[in-house]
Amino acid sequence: MAAVTDSGTAERPARLNSDALQMIVGILVIALTTFIPELAGNPYWSHTFQLVNLFIAVSILQNILLVDAGQASFGQGAIFGMAAYMVGIAFGTHEIGYAAAFLCGVLAALCGGLLFALPSLRVQGFHLGFVTLSAAIVFPEILVALNDWTNGINGISLSFSWLKEPGTLGVSPLSLMIAATGAAALILQVGLRRTVLGRRMVVAALSPEAAQSLGISPGLMRAVAFLIVAAGTGVAGALYPAVVGFVSPSAFKFDLSILFFFAIIVGGRGQPMGPIVGVWLLYLLPNILLAEFVHYRLLAYGFVTLLVVLMFPDGIVGWLEKLRVNRQRSRRDGPILHLDQLFSGREAANKEPGERSAIEVRQGYKAFGKVVALDRVDLTVREGEIHGLIGANGSGKTSLLNVLTGLSRINGGTVLVNGTDISGLPAHRISALGLGRTFQKPRIFPSLSIWGNVQIGLDGRGGDHTQPSALSIDTLRDELEGRSADWLPHGQRRLVEVMRVVLKEANILLLDEPAAGLSPDERREFANLLRNVSRRLGKTVVLVEHDLDLVWDVADRITVLDAGRVIATGTPTEVARNPAAQPLFVGSKHA
Amino acid sequence: MLEVEGVHAGYGNMPVLRDVSFSVAPGEIILIAGENGAGKSTLLRTIAGFITPDRGCVRFDGRDIAAMTPEAISRSGLRLVLDGHRVFPEMSVYDNLRLGAAAHRISAAEFRRSVDNIFSVFSILAEKRASYARDLSGGQQQMLALAQAFVAQPKVLLCDEPSLGLAQALLPPILAFLKKWAETGTAIVIVEQHIDIALSVADRAIIMERGATRLTGSPDELKQALKMKDAEPVTSGNG
Amino acid sequence: MDELAIILVRGLSTGAIFSLIAMSFNVVYSSSGVLNFAQGNMLVLGGLAAHLLLDSTSVGSWFAMLPVAAIAIGAVMTVQGYVTLLPMRFQQHSESWLISTMAVSVIIGATMLLLQGPIAREVPSVFPSFRVFGTRTPAPYALAAGLAVVWYVALRWFLRRTLTGLAISALSQDIDAARTAGLPVRRLQLLAFTISGLIIGSAGFVAAPVLTITGESGVKYVLNGFIASVVGGMGSNTGALFGGALLGVLTMMTTYHVGGEFQNLLALLLLVGVLMIRPEGIFGRSSARRV
Repeated sequence: MAAVTDSGTAERPARLNSDALQMIVGILVIALTTFIPELAGNPYWSHTFQLVNLFIAVSILQNILLVDAGQASFGQGAIFGMAAYMVGIAFGTHEIGYAAAFLCGVLAALCGGLLFALPSLRVQGFHLGFVTLSAAIVFPEILVALNDWTNGINGISLSFSWLKEPGTLGVSPLSLMIAATGAAALILQVGLRRTVLGRRMVVAALSPEAAQSLGISPGLMRAVAFLIVAAGTGVAGALYPAVVGFVSPSAFKFDLSILFFFAIIVGGRGQPMGPIVGVWLLYLLPNILLAEFVHYRLLAYGFVTLLVVLMFPDGIVGWLEKLRVNRQRSRRDGPILHLDQLFSGREAANKEPGERSAIEVRQGYKAFGKVVALDRVDLTVREGEIHGLIGANGSGKTSLLNVLTGLSRINGGTVLVNGTDISGLPAHRISALGLGRTFQKPRIFPSLSIWGNVQIGLDGRGGDHTQPSALSIDTLRDELEGRSADWLPHGQRRLVEVMRVVLKEANILLLDEPAAGLSPDERREFANLLRNVSRRLGKTVVLVEHDLDLVWDVADRITVLDAGRVIATGTPTEVARNPAAQPLFVGSKHA
Repeated sequence: MLEVEGVHAGYGNMPVLRDVSFSVAPGEIILIAGENGAGKSTLLRTIAGFITPDRGCVRFDGRDIAAMTPEAISRSGLRLVLDGHRVFPEMSVYDNLRLGAAAHRISAAEFRRSVDNIFSVFSILAEKRASYARDLSGGQQQMLALAQAFVAQPKVLLCDEPSLGLAQALLPPILAFLKKWAETGTAIVIVEQHIDIALSVADRAIIMERGATRLTGSPDELKQALKMKDAEPVTSGNG
Repeated sequence: MDELAIILVRGLSTGAIFSLIAMSFNVVYSSSGVLNFAQGNMLVLGGLAAHLLLDSTSVGSWFAMLPVAAIAIGAVMTVQGYVTLLPMRFQQHSESWLISTMAVSVIIGATMLLLQGPIAREVPSVFPSFRVFGTRTPAPYALAAGLAVVWYVALRWFLRRTLTGLAISALSQDIDAARTAGLPVRRLQLLAFTISGLIIGSAGFVAAPVLTITGESGVKYVLNGFIASVVGGMGSNTGALFGGALLGVLTMMTTYHVGGEFQNLLALLLLVGVLMIRPEGIFGRSSARRV
């Protein structure tokens, strides 16, 4: 199993992204800029770069939050400030040891992260952005207001001379800690993308429904992301008083939060080197060029950001990365997935449908206001069968699918999945009962490799850590690792989604219009895949599909919905002869 | 009037239309039918400029309009009526009509004549001219959506599933209205599921399947072809 | 009782400024989905216009200069609108407005800081203060309240009666249907920016004597305007009126009972509370948009 989760062993000549390279360059830049001025004995540059690299660390962490976890927090400056002030109060005012004060600072930042995570459970996007930004605006005001602890606008002075003493190699412990923090943030960002947790964050960020269908709780992922990032930001914040020597409210105004956010945008969302380029351009460069004109700095960073948004919408590193990817793309063809990859080494067992029911809906009723979407629906899907679910637009197919996966709840009746009543269970728990689904629009995550896209299914398997029976995972991984999912044509995306669900070891597959957008050849291949999934792997398949040819070709039994009611059910021959189902053929098949 | 040639189009990475071609002449009504997901709506949205075709061209009045915005296409006289009887819900019926003509060079007198015309055909709209469009029934909203297009006096009308979500009984008066409209020289393309009713007004019909045209012909030819294929799902299921 | 009267009078009139910001937000938001982060700076610029344009305390020049200030800010926002809408044509980066409006806000704030330093510009009130329920109330508060009502009525008339206003409303009700009707979407969105500028410019001019006219104060105004707007329901002007009033009274109550320095904190808690309990706001329609 370790070999499966720990990817990235075999580097290919054409890389999916330059994460690893960027990480190494980034760590070098951070280390060199921290150590060289100090070794050269230049206190001004030493101090400047210590600060710059702290800002870079915070910005990298926010990059993780913004891109990998999809959370728009514009108030990271406040979290940074919480840690710094807590150190100021604990170490400066109460004179407890720095180590303990440091810990208090990180804890304060964690509390801040928790406060930010709370509204993220309810609102997303710019609403969340505004709430967090508001917090950043209010934060310095609170610092002033609580002057009994914070010493108001005067701030707290601290002495850290011992931390700044050059150590063994002429480098101070403070510089070491700062460089380590920056490097750790980069390693966290790049490393996280190769872990189960990181992939889950990506899935939860880009498609909460897909996350739930894979057994991932999006709310939990958000909270975890906020906390991890807050802890890192707290470490940086706790180092801040040591660099500057005092803390005051004016250091943590909302401009600081804006700087962290703008640095990501200017550098490039999601790019490890992005925040480094961003902080250098927005903070360091104006600092050098406009040293005489301190007031112009703010203006400069407004203008630089505006220009970058207009000229390089992907940010500067993002733009370079895009050039590189496009050049590589023209060099090679997109990979072709073959179904035999999934079934190689598998005995041609012919598993016939069993008698037990995998899904059982009894008198399922669902209404949206006055509109009845499901009108006392009865549906039985037997284990191992391919069950076609057909009907015109608005007949209730999607409503039924959403009820089965727990994305919406029935108002009446019962739904049993593998014998368990699912009413009241959240979607990600229902998924754990052995349910997997694909979506009308394939949920493909472009920041993951093709293998990563398949792998999130493997991640989603419950406690079961055995090799999925007879599936040649290693071959599949070798084939698909390091290949960009972004380049996949549509038909192949469908296959990736099906592979994902198969690897999840779901024993019930719900496929939502899987043939839409497939060419005739791809449809034939897809029909084959469905037969294999059912007869060789023994899985239950519920197939919602408009293409009646396909349904009649593969389905064991068919249920016809019309206006929220089941109007026919049975074998294909029975349904075709059922007079109630006739309008469907005139309306959809031939009309 | 409108010529579609070898159009391939889709949503992002998902191809929908494969090599679709057809043309409409002034005064002609063309019915486009096909199963759900066959690409009928995508075709209309591509012609109207919401989707830029990947390949092929769309010519209107001899001009290639494939790269134009939906607004510009509409102003040049090609009007799409979206499915789902979409009108502007938070304004009156009459204001909806005013907006229909707002972006076009329509004189006040012409507008009044069009509105009188509409009100004589759909008298319910005259009665409810001051009501909010959201308070109309689905059928009335569909009439309003068509009326909104009518006052703009387009040369080509694309009408996406006028019966969607409506009682079937409402379709004949709407089709009769379209028939009369076409007689004034407007080219009309209708996408409709209720093929048997819609065929009665169509001059030609196109059956789409999986993003491509499968059959094209006169209503009679099509009725023939459909009868012969009636039992197909059963046979293919057994085969 | 006296205290309650003060809180109500001051609260409602401060709230009127928040309502004006919220209404100017709404015009742009409902036509293009953009929340202009620089709206607070635009209010301050309106105040600065009053400082620059009013050299005497004559009532006549005040009335003459009010439209000048409004039009000046309207022009500034038209330019901003053009810059903001430019990258939004490429659909992938439809959230570019977030960054570009923030950047414009930073630029305006920084420019003001450069030109006048951190000291706030003072604008004397042309009109004398007066008493309401025995409370001395500076005239600009009453004027702001009056202006909020005037703009509310004017917007209602414009958006529901005039063809151009109806077209802007149409964008918020069904953008695709608006495009099929041939409405010039970009131009209408730009016009919405202009109108928003007229509202916020006139508000800044009228309220100038009670505003903090500095480069830094813009963010606090935009924060309060945003909260008023969310509380009332994004896009609803009636909501903006109520949201502003509610926030204004809450702010005054905080000042009296807790302390002025906690004003914004309480406002933030109100925001979080509303978002947790009723994210669509008091007058907002829940997901009115069609798919």
